[in-house]
Amino acid sequence: MTGSANMSSTPRWRRAIASATWPVAFTRTLIYVILTLIAIVEAFPLLWMLVTSVKDSHEVFNTILPAEIKWQNFPRVWVAMNFPVHLGNSLYVTSLTVALVVALATPAAYAFARYKFPGRELVFYAFIGAMMIPPQAILIPMFQFLRSLHLLNSLTGLALSYVGGGVAFAIFLMRTFFLSLPGELGDSARIDGCNDFQVFWHIYLPLARPGMASVVIIQSLYTWNEFMFANTLITSPGLKTVQSAVFQAVGQYGTDYTALCSGLIIALVPVTLVYLALQRQFISGLTAGALKG
Amino acid sequence: MKRSLRLRRLIAPAMFIAPAALALILTMAAPMADAVLLSLQNWDGMRPPNWVGFGNYLNLMRDETFFRALWHTAYFTICTVILQTILPLLIASLLSSGVRGSTAFRTLYFMPVIISLAISGLLWAMLFEPNFGPVNSFLRAVGLGGLTQLWLADAATVMPSVIIVSVWQSLGFYLVIFFAALQGVPKDLYEAAELDGANAWSRFVHVSVPTIWPVILIVIVLNTINGIKVFDQIWVMTAGGPNYASATLGTYLYAMAFGAMGASNSRLGYATAIAMVILLLSIVVSIVQIRLGRRGDLDSQLEM
Repeated sequence: MTGSANMSSTPRWRRAIASATWPVAFTRTLIYVILTLIAIVEAFPLLWMLVTSVKDSHEVFNTILPAEIKWQNFPRVWVAMNFPVHLGNSLYVTSLTVALVVALATPAAYAFARYKFPGRELVFYAFIGAMMIPPQAILIPMFQFLRSLHLLNSLTGLALSYVGGGVAFAIFLMRTFFLSLPGELGDSARIDGCNDFQVFWHIYLPLARPGMASVVIIQSLYTWNEFMFANTLITSPGLKTVQSAVFQAVGQYGTDYTALCSGLIIALVPVTLVYLALQRQFISGLTAGALKG
Repeated sequence: MKRSLRLRRLIAPAMFIAPAALALILTMAAPMADAVLLSLQNWDGMRPPNWVGFGNYLNLMRDETFFRALWHTAYFTICTVILQTILPLLIASLLSSGVRGSTAFRTLYFMPVIISLAISGLLWAMLFEPNFGPVNSFLRAVGLGGLTQLWLADAATVMPSVIIVSVWQSLGFYLVIFFAALQGVPKDLYEAAELDGANAWSRFVHVSVPTIWPVILIVIVLNTINGIKVFDQIWVMTAGGPNYASATLGTYLYAMAFGAMGASNSRLGYATAIAMVILLLSIVVSIVQIRLGRRGDLDSQLEM
């Protein structure tokens, strides 16, 4: 507002010149050119990857477009990189992590939002303080801990290693959501004879679905894409998740870029399909997560 | 009577919270406490560990590579904070100036965000390949052959290269955050400024930026925290090389702990001491964030 106060002192003739030298159509065109250039920069690596994946291996560095589309790279890599196993591993770890995080965090977030009890703030901040802990800080102890439980090199162990951070974040996000729901609903249900658990289960849980959906989206993407823990806590080739499997493949395939690009595309298909199907929820879920978390 | 009533009121929230508390203690608090202890020991992961007190920390102070890694981490963080705040903010305001197809642009810009850092890194390692990779081929094709670089293989260009990857990957994410925030700026503020003769740039500087300042701060904090922890994309592209030229705290500690997996020179205590430095930096940033943050204002500004 201070800015506009200053600008009111600008003489009328200067404003007239300013608007005359920058015709609207020119500005519009310039904006589209800039936006399109950025779109090209953002899309180029992905397009290059798509084109390379269907080239013949001797064409990779010599031609821009392949003479003939070689779809056979995909089945070749699908088998050679053992994708059914790695996709299955990732799916298992992701589902287990998401299920645990949602099941543990939702009731806790509800209690932090709907109950008053001594020390509530303190406990809450102790919980979400866990979000400050960088993954590197717990990686080595987690390695040790899982080894002592014989859960090192186990997909269940890997999922457990994600739970702490996931729960802290999900409680933070879900509490905000529960706070936005009216308290009177629970009060009247209690008068009708519902106990605490029934109020939570029958009244608030169904209303909390959009909040849970955000948690599911954020946690799935995070777990599916996680690399450091997956690459460290799993050592058997057959138990690798997709992220760590494609990393290992680089060593084997070297400069066979057609194979590598096909592999990366297969690795990206599941996330991309979910993203295209749930675009709006994806974008709003992730950004809301970032702003509130 | 009164006391037992109060106790009974505690039962329900305690039951709701207990499972999460147990999970957090087991998978977060206990490893964290263990890490503090581990940073005070020498341990190769095989033989029994031995106490060295603050020995690991003292060795860090004498470790030139540690300071290089610290400097690279700072360099990465400063560059990404600047680029990954200013670029998405400018583009978001172009997008919210009423252009057609803004949804299509946003969907496209957001694509790299869903790609993992590891896969982004692997993809860009191919793009940056010096002899035949498309980046250098493109430069030669448009007559800028003099600008070709070894990119990831050259100590001078490796850090800018990994920063480019980071900007490419995260642009859409911060852009969408800023776009949502800009939608929440009251239209009459722009109209008033326009009536006063403010051009687009001064409307951006004097109306948009001050109004969404809390969101800008959050983006700066998010970028800072991600910068301090940076690991995935650098590890898959260079593993901190060539010759530690792109080593960050994250990659250096990983190399110390797992670089030679199973070998007797795995230095888990030393690596954990580096992790404690990352933790300390994250906590400092979080405290600054809490000091600066007025999160209460946020929700009213966001219309997703």
